[in-house]
Amino acid sequence: MGLLGVLATVGVSFAQVTPDRLVNAAREPDQWLMYSGSYDGSRFSPLDQINRTNVQRLSLQWVFQTRVRGTHETTPLVIDGVLYMTTPQNHAYAIDTRTGRPLWHYERALPKEMSICCGPQNRGLAALGDRLFLGTLDAHVVALDAKTGRVRWDVAAADADKGFSFTGAPLVVKDKVIVGVAGGEYGIRGFIDAYDTQTGARAWRFYTIPGEGERGVETWKGDSWKRGGAPAWVTGSYDPELNTLYWGTGNPGPQMYGPNRLGDNLYSDSLIALDPDTGKLKWYFQFTPHDVHDWDSTHTPILLDETIAGRPRKLVAVANRNGFFYVLDRVTGAYLLGKPYTQVTWAKEIDGNGRPVVLPNTEPTAEGNRVCPSGTGGTNWHSPSYSPRTRLVYFFSYEQCDTFMSDEKLEPPHRPGRPYIGSAFFPVPEERTHSAVRAVDPKTGTIRWEFKEFADAWAGVFSTAGGLVFSGDGQGNFIALDAETGRDLWHVQLGASIQTAAVSFSVDGRQHVVITAGDALFAFALPKDQ
Amino acid sequence: MRIGVPGARAILAVAFVAGVSLQAAAQAPASFPEAIKNPFAGDAKAITAGAVLFREDCVFCHGVGAHGGMRGPDLTTGSWNHGGSDADLATTIKSGVPGTAMPPNNLPDDEIWQLVSYLRTLQQPPTTVAGDRQRGETLFFGNLRCSTCHIVNGRGGGLGPELSTVGSARSRTYLVDSIRRPAAQLTPNRIVGDSVSLKYDTVTAVTNDGRTIVGVPLNEDTFTVQLMDTSEHIYSLDKKSLKSFRHDDRSLMPAYDAARLNESDLNDLVAYLQSLRSVSASKKGGRP
Repeated sequence: MGLLGVLATVGVSFAQVTPDRLVNAAREPDQWLMYSGSYDGSRFSPLDQINRTNVQRLSLQWVFQTRVRGTHETTPLVIDGVLYMTTPQNHAYAIDTRTGRPLWHYERALPKEMSICCGPQNRGLAALGDRLFLGTLDAHVVALDAKTGRVRWDVAAADADKGFSFTGAPLVVKDKVIVGVAGGEYGIRGFIDAYDTQTGARAWRFYTIPGEGERGVETWKGDSWKRGGAPAWVTGSYDPELNTLYWGTGNPGPQMYGPNRLGDNLYSDSLIALDPDTGKLKWYFQFTPHDVHDWDSTHTPILLDETIAGRPRKLVAVANRNGFFYVLDRVTGAYLLGKPYTQVTWAKEIDGNGRPVVLPNTEPTAEGNRVCPSGTGGTNWHSPSYSPRTRLVYFFSYEQCDTFMSDEKLEPPHRPGRPYIGSAFFPVPEERTHSAVRAVDPKTGTIRWEFKEFADAWAGVFSTAGGLVFSGDGQGNFIALDAETGRDLWHVQLGASIQTAAVSFSVDGRQHVVITAGDALFAFALPKDQ
Repeated sequence: MRIGVPGARAILAVAFVAGVSLQAAAQAPASFPEAIKNPFAGDAKAITAGAVLFREDCVFCHGVGAHGGMRGPDLTTGSWNHGGSDADLATTIKSGVPGTAMPPNNLPDDEIWQLVSYLRTLQQPPTTVAGDRQRGETLFFGNLRCSTCHIVNGRGGGLGPELSTVGSARSRTYLVDSIRRPAAQLTPNRIVGDSVSLKYDTVTAVTNDGRTIVGVPLNEDTFTVQLMDTSEHIYSLDKKSLKSFRHDDRSLMPAYDAARLNESDLNDLVAYLQSLRSVSASKKGGRP
């Protein structure tokens, strides 16, 4: 019974989100308890009421218009009958899942000017107990009361005037809320923070760039580590059995100008494995050493188990922005597999140690150098999905090459809070681009199928036990694909770009799928008589 | 991270340039007093800083070395569409140009002046165009039949891009090139958004009953395409229902080569097109 039902009939207190519920989120398919649905980053729903045979009957149940300007990139949470969503500029709403009617609205007073490279986005909340946690554009972490939206605590993590911000959804692990900072274009030194969910006291900070005297600082020329970027702006994943947190890191800065930061630039463009209790590094794997193409590796890591070469392995899979699909051993970080999933012109292959074999003349030049994939990458922050039924990894892929420019003579100055980029990339005007949803077998890196979308698609994916993969295009089509074959089974035009991934939940025994398009949230379900 | 898909990419690039101002829409456009002079004029450090800023913030539209790009005009011609004084340039950078792709840029004043310092180093002497504007207008609406497809201030057809303010947005070189070789750089179609994926190219669709439809795309998504043919008929087609569907990187506009359009007529036509300006441009006069 949902929260509203409980209140109406019994008046019992609001259900608590416990650490156990989070660990076992997959056993509560009626809810959507965290950013990726469960700790393994799979964004998979075990619900199968909506499936391949009836998806054509999906019908609109309600629409919630936030009226907050800007295409939303948020993933809602659904807890005991209430949906919690954020919007750009740090609004948050609680919405009745039966009717789409709002229950409360939180609006943050933000500074007039902010250093946000890519829009004032927010990608969602985390929950524990009766609280919700929000990372803000002005680099605070805020705990909201889930029943009222009122602030329980609010702490400043960093100085927003110096380019720090939060855009990703936090992740709760045990009694801590974990957030990764954004601002890789502003000469920051990136970090991942953990805060006590009760008090807001900071429990630990892991700098994504080693400091003076620490191992790895030698991978930065001079003191360039102090402003080397490596943000951590997309939510990570967590393995409760291994008690390990997996989190991706972003580009080194200045992003396309390399001469003043010679070296591998650890731990930029890496997957890092941390102890969530202490923030201590367990291992790291760097995908793109000394990146000069803006290939953040902030993707959601997918934790899955498979038998490889006759041996059961605990794996972590990532479709990287640099154009390669990787599989690592998530216990040790050992490299197992790296295969291109899109056009790649910068590296011949990934060698046996997981290091790219970089081709000559692929660095940005003063007059511009065409390299594939584009600066936005073969994929980007968009949520991937893994179905334990099909045992395939699904993700959004973008087929584009870019001209990358950087002039060695023009070293960008470091001005805290101002862009620290050094150059530019842009598409080749005469080349056509398209997008695709791809299904990859994580055992081999082989592309099993792809569904082509028109240019400008920019949405994540979501898979279900109903044999479906949901995606969206840049023109507003919300699309359901057959998870086995990639065949399109259903779509609806929602009138504005879809730039996030769907989630699913159940209310009154009916499975719903929700997606934001533009600045509205749309809820679909099968008609009541089904 | 940075920037998004081409459409979103451009939008976000703009957002990036401008920083994020939550109240931008409510603010009056900033302008610099007419008498103000660039405090960094000729300063070597400022010129270098301006070059860095230009590479970060401006090349996407104005191209490498400011020679014109996907949306923005060539800034090296010595001719300024929106005024060429220091104050004019600074105001154009800060406030953008309404009605064009030029956005406001929320940069500190010293960075604006650094950009102005850099732009001053790129100037070529203005080219004199000896065309007859009036005769060009007659050609446009008469013998050359440009107005069959292009609308100017309410007169003309709907298949091609509107040209009512093309003189503000495009350099002479670009205009000449577009007339001589229309396929060289296909104009983005920004009617329904800011995507650079929609452009004035040629779409050919063959229906299942064997009809061939050739036209310019008005819009397109994963499943459908909407297009206009040369008779201005509008079609809405489901891609799955077509026998074949393709885009070609060519323009439906004929190439006006030397045989079709002599140099003198070309100069007259370009003089007319260059006179088509947005309100802000015509006020300024366009010269330093």
